Amino acid sequence: MDKNMKILVVDDFSTMRRIVKNLLRELEFTNLDEADDGQTAWPKLKAGGYDFLVTDWNMPGMTGIELLKTVRANPETANMPVLMVTAEQKREQIIEAAQAGVNGYIIKPFTAATLKEKIDKIFARNAG
Amino acid sequence: MQDENERLELLAKAKQLVAHIETNDAEATGELLCSMTIDRERSLFKEVGQLTRQLHDNLSSFALDDQLIDLTGKEIPDAKERLNYVIEMTDDAAHKTLNAIDEIVPVTAEMNRKCEELSVKWKRFLGRELSLDEFKAMSGEISSFLDSSCANTKIVSDKTNEIVLAQGYQDLTGQIIRKVISLVQNVENNLVELVRISGSQADETAMQNETKKGVLEGPVVPGVVVEGTVNSQDEVDDLLSSLGF
Repeated sequence: MDKNMKILVVDDFSTMRRIVKNLLRELEFTNLDEADDGQTAWPKLKAGGYDFLVTDWNMPGMTGIELLKTVRANPETANMPVLMVTAEQKREQIIEAAQAGVNGYIIKPFTAATLKEKIDKIFARNAG
Repeated sequence: MQDENERLELLAKAKQLVAHIETNDAEATGELLCSMTIDRERSLFKEVGQLTRQLHDNLSSFALDDQLIDLTGKEIPDAKERLNYVIEMTDDAAHKTLNAIDEIVPVTAEMNRKCEELSVKWKRFLGRELSLDEFKAMSGEISSFLDSSCANTKIVSDKTNEIVLAQGYQDLTGQIIRKVISLVQNVENNLVELVRISGSQADETAMQNETKKGVLEGPVVPGVVVEGTVNSQDEVDDLLSSLGF
């Protein structure tokens, strides 16, 4: 796994962005950027240079699931690994995210170990 | 038809009243006037009765309105659970943070004390004031200080991380509080409707009927049952692996 890969963290709560970024730094990822909802995230992703997207679901403007669908619908970003970190825990929503092509799904509140495990799994699968 | 009968009856009585007055029959005039007043009062009572019944029916149908039942029977108790959970989460986060700081403070204080102690000795060494035995003792102290520093900075870093994680409550409580705010808005709208039905001149405020579909549930709150939710990360993982993940 390339620790220099560029990661975009999307969440409407700045505290949660800080937490996720802190944990990612703890996992030795240093190339981090953030956005506060899908609407601000998408132009960044579209402009290119990002290797991994970590997004919340429930955000004003453009939600995480819409962002995921947009990412998958565009050839330039279609293959980008996407990890959803969200408080939404309805079965139908998890299934919707899976069908939309999410690579991992973490429910809040979560632990550092869970985040590490999911990221390891995503990139182990992508490498293999 | 009944109105017509009432009219004819009234007309007959009026004619009779005129006849009584013309024949100067004071007793009969008085009696007839009295009975006519009673009739008048009776119809007034009937009207008031009808209005009361109508108001009662309106209020009953209002009380049976699904939205109101949902509101009083489920959403308000849920809101209480949600707000209690907010208190719990903020309390928990504050304690986690304070506990972590409680562990960090003595570690850093001890490191600081040892640093100052060694710094004094080191300066004496640089000034060539230390004997060989003292130098040997200081070397030992520096070695053990370096070892303990590695362990201590690890503790500080771990505890700092715990403090960072504890701040996650802000996101979750924010979402819960937003939901309760929209509930309060809903209650307000219903109260306005109640005032309107009860006949007051209150301004009619359009009720916002939100559709349930597509509404995000947000964090699961203990004590608030939402159908079809998972309860842990393990259940999420199981669900995803059943989908071929």
